[in-house]
Amino acid sequence: MAEVILKDVCKTYGSLHVVKDVSLHIQDREFLVLVGPSGCGKSTTLRMVAGLEGISTGTIQIGSTVVNDLPPKDRDIAMVFQNYALYQHMTVYDNLAFGLRNRKVSEDKIKQEVMRATEILGLGPLLGRKPQQLSGGQQQRVALGRCIVRHPQVFLFDEPLSNLDAKLRAQMRVELKRLRERVETTSIYVTHDQVEAMTLGDRVVVMKDGCIQQVGTPLDIYNRPKNRFVASFIGAPAMNFLPVDIVQKGDFFHAEAQDFSIRLPPQRAAIFARTNRRPVTLGVRPEQVCFGPCPAGHETAFSAPVEVTEQLGAEMVIGVRAGDTLMMASRIAPEAPIAVHDHVPLWLDPRGLHFFDRESEEAIN
Amino acid sequence: MSLSLAVSSTGPRAQAGGFLGLLGVAGRRVFFALAVVAILLIFIGPVAILLLTSVRPPSGVYYIWRGWEFTLDNFAEVLAQPVVLHSMWNSFVLSSIATVASLGVTVGSGYMLSRFTGPIQRSWFGIIYVFRTVPYISWVLPLYLVTTNLGIYDTYLGLLLPHVAVHVCFFSWIMKGFFDSISPSMEHAALIDGCTRWGAFRRVALPSAMPGIAALAILSWLWTWNEFLFGLILTAQRTPVITVTMAQFVTETGTEWHLMSATAVLAMLPALLITIFGQKYVVRGLRM
Repeated sequence: MAEVILKDVCKTYGSLHVVKDVSLHIQDREFLVLVGPSGCGKSTTLRMVAGLEGISTGTIQIGSTVVNDLPPKDRDIAMVFQNYALYQHMTVYDNLAFGLRNRKVSEDKIKQEVMRATEILGLGPLLGRKPQQLSGGQQQRVALGRCIVRHPQVFLFDEPLSNLDAKLRAQMRVELKRLRERVETTSIYVTHDQVEAMTLGDRVVVMKDGCIQQVGTPLDIYNRPKNRFVASFIGAPAMNFLPVDIVQKGDFFHAEAQDFSIRLPPQRAAIFARTNRRPVTLGVRPEQVCFGPCPAGHETAFSAPVEVTEQLGAEMVIGVRAGDTLMMASRIAPEAPIAVHDHVPLWLDPRGLHFFDRESEEAIN
Repeated sequence: MSLSLAVSSTGPRAQAGGFLGLLGVAGRRVFFALAVVAILLIFIGPVAILLLTSVRPPSGVYYIWRGWEFTLDNFAEVLAQPVVLHSMWNSFVLSSIATVASLGVTVGSGYMLSRFTGPIQRSWFGIIYVFRTVPYISWVLPLYLVTTNLGIYDTYLGLLLPHVAVHVCFFSWIMKGFFDSISPSMEHAALIDGCTRWGAFRRVALPSAMPGIAALAILSWLWTWNEFLFGLILTAQRTPVITVTMAQFVTETGTEWHLMSATAVLAMLPALLITIFGQKYVVRGLRM
């Protein structure tokens, strides 16, 4: 077990800057998730930690060792790949034992370790099979087993669940979470799925275009996104963005767009003194767009025509026209009497209002 | 089985109209049966004629569909000629050595083309490409001059080198395809699991490519066994090969079809055995 420190790490291919000045301090036993859209440099960052990609500039340290020039085999890491990367010509047992055999561990000890992993992951009946005789979920479990038999300092996960179908993915996510509790090892997990990021990570790193956008706990990232990109990437359904003008009317500030106006809560007034009349983007999560009359004390009511309704059984999601934007509202009671073209009363939960500078797209706090 | 599958898979399209649509279900079955028979005849016909000719007496070879005289004397006669057995042995040795030698290069070359990019790989790719596009008949005369100048004309080596060169040029591509189909992340996993780059190749990539390598071994062996042109130009009395020996039954006084056929049937046997036992791999190799 060890901490992992990335200091100003860059990766360039010719003139292409894939990873730009990434600095991270991953604590011992921490589970860190790198999340971002494809091409954001998250996998490249992980592969640099693994030693599968060279580092253009910067340093990577695992434990007390700078590993920039160490080959992967000497970094004491284990990695789970998106396509499992099991050795097709070996049985499950040999797949699990391969790393230990390379390290000249005795066969007795290997057997003991393989059995331990087998017990944790429920691989018992599969030990004699070849990878092509296993389902995707089973293969991924073998890949996990291959990591835990070695007791490495760091686990690296490169989108391990993306090849599985939705149901199996949810199931494996739970298994991973359980595994985390049994095997406490520093882990770096790369995914493009924000649900995995939110559910698995102690901390989440959101990346875009090779740069870190924000580092924080899942709730931090969700509740206090630093910029519009983070706000839009994390959360499903995605946050609504509405270009508004901030207008002062008497003692109060209003956020206004065409056919849309709400009075903003006084506790946010301080920031609007600075941003008065500046064009900003209002961000509000669908679950904070509420249906019904506005409770007393909140002045964020508005009404809008319904354009789409999505019945999900447990809740209803509706899309209403607000200015030029189709604003989604979730968490609406499934039996609510709402039909397309209805003009419905809505209000915004003031705790969930985010404002972003329309030019820099940074959050205004 | 395959016939009914073919019918059912074309069924929906046939129903849409056209010639097959006019036939109806029974008509389509007959049509496909006839098509299969025609295709089989095209492939089996020449071999059947060859087999028949090889067991007819000299007087019967021009009228193989007439008369009931069959004999194995032709085989006895060709086997009594030392040159036939000598040629078969030469062909066997050449095919085997050429296969082993060329696979050694082809596996490395295919792996390099599949996994690495750089000036060396690009140049190598270019060379192979050029040699592949030039018809190999055009190499034969320069090769004759080269082998005579080097003093290896009509020796194993003189025939082996061109064969290995052709194998490397033609089969590196197929080998590259095999390695392309093996995910590099398997080797990456091996690197992390404690292997060196060479170890990852030897212990993971190579065993995974074994079915492909086996297919190529069979294709290489058959290619050299069946090759005629190099044998004709680059060998004489000392190192005859079976394909050339077979053609020497065309003499000034006429063609001895019965002996030629018997030799051809003998020459077919090793190839046939290899194809039967290695069919699974050959099909995979030919598909790429």
